[in-house]
Amino acid sequence: MEDILEAFREARELRRRHADWDFIKRLPPKLKAALLYYIETGDIYVASRIAGMSVAEFNELRIKARVPSVT
Amino acid sequence: MSPEAIADSSFLIDGSRYSRRDLLTRLFDVVHVPESVLREIQLPPAVDWVAERLADGSFALFTETPDIETKARELMALSRSKPLKAIDYPEAVCLAAGLRFGYTVLSENGGAFFAPRVLNLGVVVWRAFEVLVEAWRRGLVQDITEELRRYEQEALHLFRRRDWEYIWSLVGRR
Repeated sequence: MEDILEAFREARELRRRHADWDFIKRLPPKLKAALLYYIETGDIYVASRIAGMSVAEFNELRIKARVPSVT
Repeated sequence: MSPEAIADSSFLIDGSRYSRRDLLTRLFDVVHVPESVLREIQLPPAVDWVAERLADGSFALFTETPDIETKARELMALSRSKPLKAIDYPEAVCLAAGLRFGYTVLSENGGAFFAPRVLNLGVVVWRAFEVLVEAWRRGLVQDITEELRRYEQEALHLFRRRDWEYIWSLVGRR
Protein backbone atom coordinates (compact mmCIF):
# COMPACT_ATOMS: atom_id res chain seq x y z
CA MET A 1 0.00 0.00 0.00
CA GLU A 2 2.96 2.32 0.63
CA ASP A 3 3.82 2.30 -3.09
CA ILE A 4 0.29 3.53 -3.89
CA LEU A 5 0.59 6.38 -1.40
CA GLU A 6 3.97 7.24 -2.93
CA ALA A 7 2.40 7.27 -6.40
CA PHE A 8 -0.22 9.79 -5.22
CA ARG A 9 2.48 11.90 -3.55
CA GLU A 10 4.66 11.96 -6.67
CA ALA A 11 1.69 12.82 -8.91
CA ARG A 12 0.68 15.70 -6.61
CA GLU A 13 4.25 17.03 -6.55
CA LEU A 14 4.48 16.97 -10.35
CA ARG A 15 1.19 18.85 -10.68
CA ARG A 16 2.30 21.45 -8.14
CA ARG A 17 5.74 21.93 -9.72
CA HIS A 18 4.55 22.36 -13.31
CA ALA A 19 1.47 24.52 -12.65
CA ASP A 20 1.42 28.13 -13.89
CA TRP A 21 0.73 29.71 -10.50
CA ASP A 22 0.56 33.26 -11.86
CA PHE A 23 -2.26 32.19 -14.19
CA ILE A 24 -4.07 30.31 -11.41
CA LYS A 25 -3.88 33.23 -8.96
CA ARG A 26 -5.60 35.53 -11.48
CA LEU A 27 -8.64 33.24 -11.94
CA PRO A 28 -12.10 33.86 -10.42
CA PRO A 29 -12.44 32.14 -7.00
CA LYS A 30 -14.50 29.16 -8.21
CA LEU A 31 -12.08 28.26 -11.01
CA LYS A 32 -9.06 28.80 -8.77
CA ALA A 33 -10.58 26.53 -6.10
CA ALA A 34 -11.32 23.85 -8.71
CA LEU A 35 -7.76 23.92 -10.04
CA LEU A 36 -6.30 23.79 -6.53
CA TYR A 37 -8.51 20.77 -5.81
CA TYR A 38 -7.29 19.14 -9.04
CA ILE A 39 -3.65 19.82 -8.23
CA GLU A 40 -4.05 18.23 -4.79
CA THR A 41 -6.09 15.18 -5.86
CA GLY A 42 -5.79 14.67 -9.63
CA ASP A 43 -9.55 14.04 -9.69
CA ILE A 44 -10.78 15.78 -12.83
CA TYR A 45 -14.45 14.78 -12.39
CA VAL A 46 -14.93 16.39 -8.98
CA ALA A 47 -12.75 19.36 -10.02
CA SER A 48 -15.02 19.95 -13.02
CA ARG A 49 -18.07 19.89 -10.71
CA ILE A 50 -16.45 22.50 -8.45
CA ALA A 51 -15.77 24.68 -11.49
CA GLY A 52 -19.31 24.21 -12.80
CA MET A 53 -17.99 22.77 -16.06
CA SER A 54 -18.02 19.52 -17.99
CA VAL A 55 -14.88 17.40 -17.70
CA ALA A 56 -13.89 18.43 -21.24
CA GLU A 57 -14.22 22.13 -20.41
CA PHE A 58 -12.23 21.70 -17.21
CA ASN A 59 -9.51 19.89 -19.15
CA GLU A 60 -9.09 23.00 -21.33
CA LEU A 61 -8.65 25.08 -18.16
CA ARG A 62 -6.13 22.53 -16.84
CA ILE A 63 -4.08 22.87 -20.02
CA LYS A 64 -4.17 26.69 -19.91
CA ALA A 65 -2.90 26.46 -16.31
CA ARG A 66 -0.13 24.06 -17.47
CA VAL A 67 -1.10 21.45 -14.87
CA PRO A 68 -0.04 18.02 -16.14
CA SER A 69 -2.27 15.00 -15.75
CA VAL A 70 -0.42 12.26 -13.85
CA THR A 71 -1.87 8.88 -12.89
CA MET B 1 -6.54 -8.94 -21.92
CA SER B 2 -10.16 -8.69 -22.93
CA PRO B 3 -10.90 -7.85 -26.61
CA GLU B 4 -13.39 -5.29 -25.30
CA ALA B 5 -12.77 -2.23 -23.14
CA ILE B 6 -14.76 0.49 -21.45
CA ALA B 7 -13.38 4.03 -21.10
CA ASP B 8 -14.08 6.87 -18.70
CA SER B 9 -13.93 10.58 -19.44
CA SER B 10 -10.46 11.08 -17.90
CA PHE B 11 -8.99 8.56 -20.36
CA LEU B 12 -10.86 9.74 -23.46
CA ILE B 13 -10.33 13.46 -22.90
CA ASP B 14 -6.63 13.06 -22.08
CA GLY B 15 -6.04 10.67 -24.97
CA SER B 16 -7.99 12.68 -27.53
CA ARG B 17 -5.11 15.17 -27.79
CA TYR B 18 -2.65 12.42 -28.73
CA SER B 19 -2.03 12.24 -32.48
CA ARG B 20 -1.86 8.43 -32.50
CA ARG B 21 -4.99 7.96 -30.38
CA ASP B 22 -6.45 5.44 -32.81
CA LEU B 23 -3.85 2.89 -31.71
CA LEU B 24 -6.55 2.09 -29.17
CA THR B 25 -8.80 0.68 -31.89
CA ARG B 26 -6.01 -1.69 -33.00
CA LEU B 27 -5.86 -3.21 -29.51
CA PHE B 28 -9.55 -3.68 -28.77
CA ASP B 29 -12.42 -4.96 -30.92
CA VAL B 30 -14.67 -2.35 -29.34
CA VAL B 31 -14.37 0.38 -26.70
CA HIS B 32 -17.59 1.01 -24.79
CA VAL B 33 -18.40 4.58 -23.77
CA PRO B 34 -20.99 4.95 -20.96
CA GLU B 35 -23.71 7.55 -21.44
CA SER B 36 -22.58 9.23 -18.20
CA VAL B 37 -19.10 9.61 -19.73
CA LEU B 38 -20.41 10.87 -23.08
CA ARG B 39 -22.21 13.70 -21.29
CA GLU B 40 -18.83 15.03 -20.11
CA ILE B 41 -17.29 15.04 -23.59
CA GLN B 42 -18.56 18.24 -25.14
CA LEU B 43 -15.57 19.81 -26.87
CA PRO B 44 -13.16 19.02 -29.69
CA PRO B 45 -10.93 17.11 -30.05
CA ALA B 46 -12.57 14.57 -27.71
CA VAL B 47 -16.13 14.93 -29.01
CA ASP B 48 -14.98 14.66 -32.64
CA TRP B 49 -12.87 11.59 -31.92
CA VAL B 50 -15.58 9.79 -29.98
CA ALA B 51 -18.28 10.64 -32.55
CA GLU B 52 -16.09 9.40 -35.43
CA ARG B 53 -15.29 6.14 -33.67
CA LEU B 54 -18.94 5.62 -32.67
CA ALA B 55 -19.84 6.13 -36.33
CA ASP B 56 -17.34 3.52 -37.59
CA GLY B 57 -18.25 1.03 -34.87
CA SER B 58 -14.91 0.87 -33.08
CA PHE B 59 -16.57 2.60 -30.09
CA ALA B 60 -20.04 1.69 -28.80
CA LEU B 61 -22.46 3.52 -26.56
CA PHE B 62 -22.89 1.80 -23.19
CA THR B 63 -26.20 2.45 -21.47
CA GLU B 64 -26.06 1.94 -17.73
CA THR B 65 -28.55 -0.62 -16.44
CA PRO B 66 -29.96 -0.62 -12.88
CA ASP B 67 -27.68 -3.51 -11.82
CA ILE B 68 -24.58 -1.67 -13.11
CA GLU B 69 -25.66 1.55 -11.36
CA THR B 70 -26.23 -0.38 -8.13
CA LYS B 71 -22.81 -2.04 -8.36
CA ALA B 72 -21.19 1.32 -9.17
CA ARG B 73 -22.67 2.88 -6.04
CA GLU B 74 -21.50 -0.10 -3.98
CA LEU B 75 -17.96 0.41 -5.30
CA MET B 76 -18.10 4.15 -4.51
CA ALA B 77 -19.18 3.39 -0.94
CA LEU B 78 -16.50 0.72 -0.60
CA SER B 79 -13.80 3.11 -1.84
CA ARG B 80 -14.84 5.70 0.76
CA SER B 81 -14.17 3.18 3.53
CA LYS B 82 -10.51 3.00 2.46
CA PRO B 83 -7.80 5.50 3.38
CA LEU B 84 -7.04 6.13 -0.30
CA LYS B 85 -8.57 8.18 -3.09
CA ALA B 86 -12.32 7.60 -3.50
CA ILE B 87 -13.78 6.76 -6.90
CA ASP B 88 -16.63 8.76 -8.42
CA TYR B 89 -19.66 7.67 -10.41
CA PRO B 90 -18.30 7.68 -14.00
CA GLU B 91 -15.25 5.54 -13.21
CA ALA B 92 -17.31 3.40 -10.82
CA VAL B 93 -19.66 2.60 -13.73
CA CYS B 94 -16.65 1.52 -15.81
CA LEU B 95 -15.34 -0.67 -12.98
CA ALA B 96 -18.77 -2.22 -12.45
CA ALA B 97 -19.07 -2.98 -16.18
CA GLY B 98 -15.52 -4.35 -16.18
CA LEU B 99 -16.46 -6.70 -13.36
CA ARG B 100 -19.78 -7.70 -14.93
CA PHE B 101 -18.67 -8.20 -18.54
CA GLY B 102 -14.89 -8.71 -18.28
CA TYR B 103 -14.04 -5.49 -20.12
CA THR B 104 -10.64 -3.89 -19.64
CA VAL B 105 -11.25 -0.55 -17.90
CA LEU B 106 -9.48 2.49 -19.39
CA SER B 107 -9.02 5.36 -16.92
CA GLU B 108 -6.60 8.09 -15.90
CA ASN B 109 -8.23 8.34 -12.48
CA GLY B 110 -5.85 7.30 -9.71
CA GLY B 111 -8.63 5.87 -7.56
CA ALA B 112 -9.83 3.68 -10.42
CA PHE B 113 -6.32 2.63 -11.47
CA PHE B 114 -5.47 1.33 -8.02
CA ALA B 115 -8.99 0.00 -7.26
CA PRO B 116 -8.19 -3.62 -8.21
CA ARG B 117 -5.53 -3.68 -5.48
CA VAL B 118 -7.15 -1.42 -2.89
CA LEU B 119 -10.66 -2.88 -3.23
CA ASN B 120 -9.52 -6.38 -4.23
CA LEU B 121 -11.46 -6.34 -7.51
CA GLY B 122 -11.02 -8.87 -10.28
CA VAL B 123 -10.82 -6.29 -13.05
CA VAL B 124 -7.99 -4.97 -15.24
CA VAL B 125 -7.49 -1.18 -15.37
CA TRP B 126 -5.20 0.40 -17.93
CA ARG B 127 -3.98 3.97 -18.34
CA ALA B 128 -2.52 5.38 -21.55
CA PHE B 129 0.81 3.99 -20.30
CA GLU B 130 -0.38 0.37 -20.42
CA VAL B 131 -2.09 0.97 -23.78
CA LEU B 132 1.12 2.29 -25.32
CA VAL B 133 3.26 -0.49 -23.85
CA GLU B 134 0.84 -3.09 -25.25
CA ALA B 135 0.90 -1.35 -28.65
CA TRP B 136 4.70 -1.48 -28.56
CA ARG B 137 4.67 -5.19 -27.62
CA ARG B 138 2.47 -5.88 -30.66
CA GLY B 139 4.78 -3.95 -32.98
CA LEU B 140 2.35 -1.07 -33.52
CA VAL B 141 4.83 1.36 -31.95
CA GLN B 142 8.50 1.28 -32.92
CA ASP B 143 10.15 3.36 -30.22
CA ILE B 144 8.28 3.20 -26.91
CA THR B 145 10.39 5.91 -25.26
CA GLU B 146 9.70 8.35 -28.10
CA GLU B 147 5.99 7.42 -28.10
CA LEU B 148 5.58 8.00 -24.37
CA ARG B 149 7.30 11.38 -24.70
CA ARG B 150 5.01 12.26 -27.62
CA TYR B 151 2.00 11.42 -25.45
CA GLU B 152 3.36 13.54 -22.58
CA GLN B 153 3.83 16.53 -24.86
CA GLU B 154 0.58 16.31 -26.80
CA ALA B 155 -1.74 15.52 -23.85
CA LEU B 156 0.13 17.62 -21.27
CA HIS B 157 0.54 14.43 -19.28
CA LEU B 158 3.50 13.17 -17.26
CA PHE B 159 4.32 9.54 -16.58
CA ARG B 160 5.62 8.77 -13.10
CA ARG B 161 9.21 7.85 -12.33
CA ARG B 162 8.24 4.22 -11.69
CA ASP B 163 6.68 3.99 -15.16
CA TRP B 164 9.83 5.34 -16.77
CA GLU B 165 11.99 2.96 -14.73
CA TYR B 166 9.88 0.07 -16.01
CA ILE B 167 10.43 1.20 -19.60
CA TRP B 168 14.17 1.68 -19.05
CA SER B 169 14.32 -1.85 -17.62
CA LEU B 170 12.92 -3.07 -20.95
CA VAL B 171 14.79 -0.93 -23.47
CA GLY B 172 17.57 0.84 -21.59
CA ARG B 173 17.73 4.49 -20.58
CA ARG B 174 18.05 7.12 -23.30
